[in-house]
Amino acid sequence: MDRWDKMKIIDKENFIFPNIIDYKKDYLKSETKLPEGVVLEKITKGINEIIFDYLNTKEFQGVGEKFTSLAEESYNSGIIFYIPKDVKVESPIKIEFDMDEENPVVINQNIIVAEKGSEGTIIMDYTSSEKVGAFHNGLTKIYAKENSIINIIKVQRMNDISHNFDSNIAIVKGQGQVNWISIELGSGISSSNYSNFLEAEASEANLSSIYLGDGKRKIDLEYSMIHKGPRSISNIETKGVLMDHAKKVFKGNLDFKKGARLSKGIEEEYVILLDPTVKSDSIPALLCHEDDVEGEHAASAGQINENKLFYLMSRGLEEREAKKLIVEASFRPIIDRIPYEIYRNIVVDEVERRLMDGKN
Amino acid sequence: MTKNLLNVKNLKINIEDKEILKGLNLQINEGEIHILMGPNGSGKSTLAYTLMGHPKYEIAEGDIIFNGELINDLRADERAKRGIFLSFQYPEEIPGVTVEEFLRTAKTSVTGKFHGVIAFKKLLKEKMDLLEMEEEYASRYLNQGFSGGEKKKNEILQMSVLEPKLAILDETDSGLDVDAISIVAEGVKRVQDDKKSILVITHYNKLLDYLKPDFVHILLDGKIVKTGGIELAKEIDERGYENIRTKYSN
Repeated sequence: MDRWDKMKIIDKENFIFPNIIDYKKDYLKSETKLPEGVVLEKITKGINEIIFDYLNTKEFQGVGEKFTSLAEESYNSGIIFYIPKDVKVESPIKIEFDMDEENPVVINQNIIVAEKGSEGTIIMDYTSSEKVGAFHNGLTKIYAKENSIINIIKVQRMNDISHNFDSNIAIVKGQGQVNWISIELGSGISSSNYSNFLEAEASEANLSSIYLGDGKRKIDLEYSMIHKGPRSISNIETKGVLMDHAKKVFKGNLDFKKGARLSKGIEEEYVILLDPTVKSDSIPALLCHEDDVEGEHAASAGQINENKLFYLMSRGLEEREAKKLIVEASFRPIIDRIPYEIYRNIVVDEVERRLMDGKN
Repeated sequence: MTKNLLNVKNLKINIEDKEILKGLNLQINEGEIHILMGPNGSGKSTLAYTLMGHPKYEIAEGDIIFNGELINDLRADERAKRGIFLSFQYPEEIPGVTVEEFLRTAKTSVTGKFHGVIAFKKLLKEKMDLLEMEEEYASRYLNQGFSGGEKKKNEILQMSVLEPKLAILDETDSGLDVDAISIVAEGVKRVQDDKKSILVITHYNKLLDYLKPDFVHILLDGKIVKTGGIELAKEIDERGYENIRTKYSN
């Protein structure tokens, strides 16, 4: 057993999938008219023409082959979003999955293709109603061609008896840019993988994320930036908080392949540990096949500084309130990057609710 | 008759087995301004932190009585709610929380009354104007990237918003230029009235030119060795602590 195996907190190999049933609710919320040539539709087996070029993704494992195959072969939902050359889609595309008793399973495949010079924003929100042990297994593929920009925000706030598996891949061409915001607040077991292939000159990927582990939640995160093109750029910025008996493994990979000269990658992960009973492992990896690259990683895990806490308490805040303020403050820079107030508020409220419900 | 606000009796504080305060006595009545002076290492900041209730400073012996209540075992937030305020020598930076949000939360906590956004904005603006602070400070993250002087001003702003019964100013004058000192002193004077008291802790008092203290105390080696009026501060100013130290050391 290698070191990584010992740190496994979710037994994915032996995970048993639920019965796959249809997801009958409407999940694609499109409010405004889209520019000409833009395709936005629900994924349907064998019908969506454009997806055939983008179906197979080599060298991508996601959260595990078993999970990505399930999403590719047996999806029950998902979207196709295609933006033609030089078109900017101003309004965000909203996708909301709200799992309930009749629709407890979401297996979705989402394919997003941005042609040269195009731009678009997608928000995906996952929730599950109380007392429903929901299951989500997703696969999102983004193809950002030359000079295109894709902003994608994922909010996962499913209940504590749900299971979440989410694999994400971005293939970014020259001077293209993919900006991810990942908000992980729920699900008893949650495993997410984000893999970004920076294929050409000055391709760029940015991943900002927050996670909150409370109760007995297990969080398994793997973020990869695979630099192939010269002068490619990547940034990972993660802020977390763990409390109660939560467990987390964070794996951040910066991989500079041959040809990625003058590329730069930065990864940062800061986690606040509110209780001594939590478990937090972080494994940053830096792989270089080129000399002329810059890779930085920074990580810290610790309790809230005693003097900071005292300062806030001296202004009348109770310990719990002071801790909540510090946690929210650490999340704030990431939350502020969500470009829509309504979603910022949803996230702030959910963070607050989970912090106040806890023992801290 | 003036009412006693703070009564510190025979206070002894140890930090890591070292005795820092060695039986300190101090009485402050309502409406009084006290200056506590002492050289570095005499225990001034220890007293400030202890009065505010820092968990690291455990009381080995003695009592702290505030407004007739023994507060030895009260937490910092409980003391704040009873009207004690400490202006920190080194205020903490809290990135992600704006001055305005923080102060509104603090005001709500201290008073136990909800303060609406609009009414609070107005109150804050008034207080900021008095301290000649630009409006943009309200939306900056608390103390982050503030200069030394800005941090001290921000402490006084917090004090004037929270309106404590007893404000302890720990080295508030250090790091301030002459103009800033007069503005801060003005702010302090506005908070103080016949019910509210101020304890100014300093090792070299620049605020003295602006505030008229009722009492000046000299802290040496964990004990108050001499109490007098403003003339005592002037004596220290001219001749330093050596004279007093020789007189009181055994």
